[in-house]
Amino acid sequence: MDMEGSPQVTRRTTRSCAVSSNDVESTKPSESYKPTLNDLAFGKQPFGLEDLLSRFPCRRTQILEFLRLLGPLNSPLFPVLVYGGPSTGKTSVTLQDSKHSYSSVKRCERPSDFVNYLREALENVISSLKGNSGKSNSKMSGRPDGTMMPEVGLIFISNISPDMYYLNIGYVEPIPLYFLNYTEDDLRHIFMVNQTNRKLYASFLDVVLRPFCRVTRRVDELAAALSSLFKKYCEPLSDKEVAPNEEMKRKLFSQIRPHISSALNETFQVRSQPLLGAEANKTKKTNSSKMSGILEDFDKIDFHMSTSAKYLLISAFLASRNPATLDASLFDSTGVSDSRKRKRKASEKSMDQKEMAEQELHMKGPGTFPLERLLAIFQCITSLAEDSLDEEESRELTTEGSSRGLMSDVLLQLSSLCNANFIIKGGSCPLEGSTRYRTAVSEDLALKVARSLKFPLSKYLYRR
Amino acid sequence: MAPSPTDDSLPSTIDEAFTENNLQPFFVLQKGSSRKSDRKSSGTGRTKRRIDLSPASPKDSSSLEDEKENENMNLRMEAFEFVWSKIESTIKDVLRDINTNVFNEIQTWVHQSFNTIRSLGTPDFPEATQSFPVITDANSKRLFTGLVLTKNMEFVDDLLTFEELGKHLKYQGCHVANLSSLDFTAKNGVGGCLRSLLRQFLKSTLDPADISILASWYREENYNNPVVVIIDDIERCCGSVLSDFILMLSEWAIKIPVILIMGVATTLDAPRNMLPSNALRCLCPFEFTLGTPAERMDAIVEAVLVKPCSGFNIGHKVAVFMRNYFLSQDGTLTSFIRALKIACTQHFYMEPLSAILHDFVLEEDNSVLEIGQYGLSSEVMWRHVFDLPSCQRVRVNKQTSASLANAFSELKRLQNQWRAVVLCLYVTGKGEKVRLLDLFCETIDPISQNQRESDTYMKFEKDPVITPSRIKGGVLWEAVRLVRDLSTSQLGELLKIWDNLTVDVVEINDKVKELLSLLKVDDGKSSKKDLTVTPKRHASRIQLNIVKDSESLIDKAAKLIECMVRDYMCPIECIPFHEIFCFKDVDKLRLALIGDPRRRIQVDLLEFQKLLCCSCCTQGSSGLLPSMHDTSIMYKLAQEHGDLINLHDWYQSFKSIVVCPSNSKKKSRQSPLPKKRKGTKESENQSEASIQARFCRAVTELQITGLLRMPSKRRPDFAQRVAFGL
Repeated sequence: MDMEGSPQVTRRTTRSCAVSSNDVESTKPSESYKPTLNDLAFGKQPFGLEDLLSRFPCRRTQILEFLRLLGPLNSPLFPVLVYGGPSTGKTSVTLQDSKHSYSSVKRCERPSDFVNYLREALENVISSLKGNSGKSNSKMSGRPDGTMMPEVGLIFISNISPDMYYLNIGYVEPIPLYFLNYTEDDLRHIFMVNQTNRKLYASFLDVVLRPFCRVTRRVDELAAALSSLFKKYCEPLSDKEVAPNEEMKRKLFSQIRPHISSALNETFQVRSQPLLGAEANKTKKTNSSKMSGILEDFDKIDFHMSTSAKYLLISAFLASRNPATLDASLFDSTGVSDSRKRKRKASEKSMDQKEMAEQELHMKGPGTFPLERLLAIFQCITSLAEDSLDEEESRELTTEGSSRGLMSDVLLQLSSLCNANFIIKGGSCPLEGSTRYRTAVSEDLALKVARSLKFPLSKYLYRR
Repeated sequence: MAPSPTDDSLPSTIDEAFTENNLQPFFVLQKGSSRKSDRKSSGTGRTKRRIDLSPASPKDSSSLEDEKENENMNLRMEAFEFVWSKIESTIKDVLRDINTNVFNEIQTWVHQSFNTIRSLGTPDFPEATQSFPVITDANSKRLFTGLVLTKNMEFVDDLLTFEELGKHLKYQGCHVANLSSLDFTAKNGVGGCLRSLLRQFLKSTLDPADISILASWYREENYNNPVVVIIDDIERCCGSVLSDFILMLSEWAIKIPVILIMGVATTLDAPRNMLPSNALRCLCPFEFTLGTPAERMDAIVEAVLVKPCSGFNIGHKVAVFMRNYFLSQDGTLTSFIRALKIACTQHFYMEPLSAILHDFVLEEDNSVLEIGQYGLSSEVMWRHVFDLPSCQRVRVNKQTSASLANAFSELKRLQNQWRAVVLCLYVTGKGEKVRLLDLFCETIDPISQNQRESDTYMKFEKDPVITPSRIKGGVLWEAVRLVRDLSTSQLGELLKIWDNLTVDVVEINDKVKELLSLLKVDDGKSSKKDLTVTPKRHASRIQLNIVKDSESLIDKAAKLIECMVRDYMCPIECIPFHEIFCFKDVDKLRLALIGDPRRRIQVDLLEFQKLLCCSCCTQGSSGLLPSMHDTSIMYKLAQEHGDLINLHDWYQSFKSIVVCPSNSKKKSRQSPLPKKRKGTKESENQSEASIQARFCRAVTELQITGLLRMPSKRRPDFAQRVAFGL
């Protein structure tokens, strides 16, 4: 991206490079300071070192080292490799530093891009340009720097260690600069920046930061989680400016505690629309339904599925969970007792072996099955279910050929189950017929579906 | 639809309307010329109709008849188009009404989130159009995402919904792009969806898919409006592409304020399972819920089938079939509507008098019905009308147009009554999950209605306390029973709704009004009693009284609805002349809707003579002839095998049939290997090669039709039969 210093570098060049904008890992801005418009206009207001250091708490050594490597203006710059874990401030620090000493920062992905890009930039700003910072995640762009002029400085940013880039081709080895992960104290410093009510926030961090640090130390992840939690924390307070005393802290803590554990597990919290007039009772409803829903709508599926799709889902679930050898004994009434007995009288060694096999099966997850097996189980299940259905609902609405009806377009149902990601289809030629399927359904959902059909799923499930 | 000769003779226009929703299985066998089959087979529609209408018509006037018939057919076509367009527009309106609330909700949310994004600051032009990251708060990188739960595993129904949503938002000034799961395939990658975005926003097809183009467009266009990207159903998208897309958009979140709207067909777990956590973190999700398919279905049934819409109606068996199809097979409104359309088409095609519906819809005065205007000669028509089974049951004495008109107005009156009662029942049971579709199916059952009448009379004579709810299960009586569970205030509200619903039917309305006035008096009493301060004992006694009063009132209400069900709910199939308005042929509908292609293919292969109508094999001999179609021969031969077919055996028996049986039968049996053969070796070789080629083609055709699986590596000389039985 071009800065104010070189506006004549055309937009065209950036376009050609921007395809690479999906390499995200290293471009996370990480500091949680409040941006203003002035912040964004970097080039205009050069700021001092102290300012810079205060912007990036806990990065003092890195910044100083970096500035030392950059050296004074007009001096040649050796390639620098900035590396460290994700969200540790690599990009931000580099940006800010080079901003304040250099005029142009760009990004690209392919080496050819880089060279073209560089040449264009050099032609345009040959007089003012002191250095470019090429930034990349890939090894590839490490190459061209061997042939570059000494005035061109290269700064690589990566979250992989320098060993990965060691190529031994003969170009100048980049100087590594490591950004280590933030510690808990560092994080506390970072989050305290720009807080209006510092005492309140400090008490909040006391409670919250430790459990969260065990999970992640990425500033961006934490910032998202904490900001919503802090809102909850402040909810009972009428005056947000008040400094909390001990008793109040305790109260707030007891209130926030249940939320912490849920927030820890949940990176993806869906809120329902809180805007409209009916908001009050609506939110109440969702809350209550979450609590009482467990009792009330226990066997209710959240979405509509046709009956045959449900049966198909169950049979797919069974086919995936049960070993194929057991099918006969499960669905054929003659074979059951025999196989059960044999299992009980197993020797020590064979038991061990079986345990191993079971563990292996467990590790492998749900098994795959061919279409024929699925259809066979489906037919068994539906014929069973229809018998019981006939007894229950003697007449009325089940009049016309429901038994044949269920079978008629199973394949259509199968494809829509595949579309809904409930059944995963192994890739192969559809004509060959050797396609294998696998279910991705959780046991909970399968049980729910079974319950909605009044189908005794657990009876057919092979438990190890 | 099955490729039976009957369908062939459908008039082209109806056929077109028909093929629109119609998936034809491909033909293994070529059809014989339709003319020929038309003439030959006696069961075609045209001849059948003629037999129906004019069994005794003089033969010399057949050309006149034909002309009349043509005219009549045209009129029926017009009527069909009119009726169907009416039904279609009604359905569209109903669906739109259902969605209005959610749409408004979404729109408000879109604008609020846009304001939130704006409040984070607007970057200036160069910054906003360049790819370098703007360093900001981590929270500003989150994308506002509306997850719209469609509540149906099948998503066909919601294609239209999302399209409408797009229009709605566009109308409100947003920039809207609709993406489908086809844009998120692994093959095209992120470039695919970006290109689609650019195409929709910039209306141009630029080659480089680059989001900075979008950014500069947004800057130049109008940056006071939000950009909304609607993704139809995320379950079908490729997860990695979608997450790339999300990450890319979140990088640009400040520069292009994109608001995502995603359709979720199953549960909220779907995005959780699909997307990696770093993409999920970029989303700031909100949840919206569309109406469930059952709700929508009820709304459609109410508007199209219960309330007066087109005059077209369906019989009990058809309704039950459609209901079962919806519940157990397909579960989409789309297929329900398609079934309705097929029913409608079939009805207009089969029923010569159906042209009357056109005027019936227009609510024209039908006191003077000019039958002649419907194309058929009047005497034929008269005979047809009064030959209708429903008419014969009632036995109309005078066969005049006046009596017909009377019958029609009677039909209308009875339908109105029926409608009022059904709606009353529906309103009563609405809260308790009584589905209108079920109710509809029960209330148009002519048999149970007859039973109901006799049953209830008998029971009431014996023991007036026993309510019908104990006699029978079913939604209908469930609704009736619900009346008894109501409190007084609820009853009051319910009665008011009943009052509104029964305005057209004076007899019922009077009774409802009577009950309402009773209720009001009662209300006055009880409120007075409430006001007077009474000691506790008295209070309890009075309470008891009140309870008794309300009980008696509720009793009366329950009796009223029972009486309504008994006396005023006459299903359409019990009314004379209903055949003109009501489609009853469930088998036709089933054939057209389900088709059963696999079965059809097997049948056609086995009974190919019916389709091909060739001269060489029409004798109906069961033996295999060389003139038969190769694939048919192969399939018939395959019937003799189990699920594994030895290819060599199969080929040999195929060859023995194909090669002229007179001279080469012995040879091929005795010496299957070509090298042993003498004489014209070259031509033998050639024929051998061509037979092999024919064999291969036939096997491939069987494979394509899904009846056969090719030999596996494990057993290279065996093919496997896949489909068994019919």
